[in-house]
Amino acid sequence: MQQEPTKNAPKHLPAWLWAVLTVAVVALVVVIAATDRGNEPGPAYKLDLKPFTKVDDKDVAFRQTARFPLNLEEPSALAVAGDGTICVAGKGAVLLLDGEGRETARHAVQGTPDAMAVAPDGKLLLGMRNHVRVLDAAGATLVDWKELGDRAYITSIAANDKDVFVADAGNRVVLHYDYGGNVLNEMGQRDPKHEFDGFVVPSPYFDAAFDASGLLWIVNPGRHGLENHRPTGELVSSWYRPGMDLNGFCGCCNPTHIAFRNDGSVVTAEKGINRVKVYAPDNTLIGVVARPDDLPATSDENDSHSPVKDLAVDKKDRILILVGSMKAILVYEPKETGTDTSVATATGRREDVSVPAFSGDRKP
Amino acid sequence: MSKEKTGTDTSATDAAGGSGDVSVPAFSRRDFMRAAAAVAAGGGAWMVSHPSEQVFGWQLDPRKCQQCGRCATACVLTPSAVKCVHAYEMCGFCDLCGGYLQPGAKAQDSGAENELCPVAALKRKYVEAPFYLYTIIEDLCIGCGKCVKGCNAFGNGSLQLQVKQEICVHCNDCAIARNCPAQAYQRVPVAKSYMLKTLEGGGAPKA
Repeated sequence: MQQEPTKNAPKHLPAWLWAVLTVAVVALVVVIAATDRGNEPGPAYKLDLKPFTKVDDKDVAFRQTARFPLNLEEPSALAVAGDGTICVAGKGAVLLLDGEGRETARHAVQGTPDAMAVAPDGKLLLGMRNHVRVLDAAGATLVDWKELGDRAYITSIAANDKDVFVADAGNRVVLHYDYGGNVLNEMGQRDPKHEFDGFVVPSPYFDAAFDASGLLWIVNPGRHGLENHRPTGELVSSWYRPGMDLNGFCGCCNPTHIAFRNDGSVVTAEKGINRVKVYAPDNTLIGVVARPDDLPATSDENDSHSPVKDLAVDKKDRILILVGSMKAILVYEPKETGTDTSVATATGRREDVSVPAFSGDRKP
Repeated sequence: MSKEKTGTDTSATDAAGGSGDVSVPAFSRRDFMRAAAAVAAGGGAWMVSHPSEQVFGWQLDPRKCQQCGRCATACVLTPSAVKCVHAYEMCGFCDLCGGYLQPGAKAQDSGAENELCPVAALKRKYVEAPFYLYTIIEDLCIGCGKCVKGCNAFGNGSLQLQVKQEICVHCNDCAIARNCPAQAYQRVPVAKSYMLKTLEGGGAPKA
C-alpha cells in the first residue's frame, strides 16, 4: 500500500515566512541598537553657550573685503611695517606681503615666533618663546637677546623708534628694552600709589600696542581691560569691562589681542566667544568686526585657544585678522564707505570733547 | 648496562616497570599538590601587591569629552562614578572663572544664582586679589561636566572629568561608554587609569 506523500514529507516553513522572520529579527536588532541610549540630560546638566554667540546685524559695523591666503605653516604673529608691508610669522618662516596680500619675500626662521614687531628701520623683532630675536630687513639674524628664563612666554612685542616693549605672559611682566637688548625697566610690579595690582595673566594671551598718538597700551586680561602705562611703568589710565554681553570682554582673560586704528579706535579680539570688535577712544563700542560665526571654531572641542592668532591695522586703516586654522589673513573694512565710519567714530569724539582721547576709568 | 635514574625519564620508567625495579618518582602526587598550592598562593599574593598594567578599567579621555551631561545620567551608580578633577597646574585661579560662574552672572560671588554647578560641588576660596582657589567636593559632584565646559571655553581647561576608579564598579559593559556620543570612553590599564590633560613641559599653556 502506498502512503500518501504529504504525511511523511518533511515539514518546512514556507520561504516567504522565513523572509518575514529574518526581516523581523534584523529590524528588532536595529531598533534595540538604535534605542539603547539613555535619555538626553536636561538643561540643568548642560552648558549652552550658543545664546551668547548671537550678534544682530545692526551691531556689525565692518565687512570682510579680502582674504589673503598664506603659504605658511602655523601662522602665529602679524605686524605691519611703516611702509605698509604686511609681515606674517609662522613655523620656520616670516612672510612679507604687499598691500594686496602678494608674497614679496620670505625669510627662513628657526622655530615658530609667538610674537612679532617691525622697527621703524625695518628690523624684525621676533618673540621666540623666552627671548627676542632681531633680524635685519633682509631677514638675516642680527642678534638673540638674553633669555628670560624657563617660565618666560613672550606673547607680544611693541616697538617704536627707540623703545621695545616685550610682554611676557609667563612672568606676567612687560619688559622695556632699548635696541641694544638692555632691559631698562620691568612693568608689572604692584604699585599701590597708582592703584596698580600687577598684570593678571591666567593664560598665554598678553598683548601690548601703541596707539596712533604713540601711547603704550597693555592688556590686563584677567581684569578684562586695557591700561595705558608710561614707559617707566606708571599706570596712567585704564578701562575694564568684564561681561558676556557684546559690550564687554567675556571669559577669564580677554581681550587676547589689540590693535589701534588711525582714528584712535581700538580693535579687540576675544577667545571663548570668538569675536572681534572696535571701541571708540571713549571706550564706547563702535561695532562688531567679526562675529563668532564669521570665525572658525576651534577644531578641538576642548581647545580654549583663540582661532585669532593676531591683529593688526594696515596703512589704509584696514583691520587685518590672522586666523591660524585658515592659514589666512581676513581683511575688514567699514561696512559703509570710509567717510561713513569716520563720521561714526568722529561722532564719538565730538560728543565727548571734554574727555581726552584714551581717558580711562582711573586717573592718577 | 647502567641506567640513568631520572624519575621523569620515560625510558627509565618503562624499564623499571618492565624489569620490576623499584624507582621512586621525583615528586609524589602529594608533593606536587603542595608545590602547586604554594606557587598559586605566592603568585596570587604577588599579583595583589603588584597590579599588572594588563588589568583594565574604564576611563574617559578628556581630550575627546564633549561635556554632554550623560556621565551624570547614564552611570549605573547614583551619583555617577565620574567626577570632576582639578589639574591645579593648569588653573589660572581666575576671579571670573568660567567653570564656577554662570555665563552672564549678575555678580561674581558665591550666590546660588551665580554658580554654574547644579549641586554646588565647586567651591572657591579667596587667596589674594584677584586670585581664587577652586576645589571640588567629590561627594557632591555628579559628573555633569558643566564646569568642565565653562573652563574649557573660557579658561585653561584645568577642570576635567574622570572615572574615579575607587568608586567605579567596573561593569563589563560600561553604561556611560555605551551612551557617550564622543566615543571618549576606553579600557585602560588600571595601573595608568587616569588620563588628565597636563601642561606640555610645564609653564604656561601652549597658545
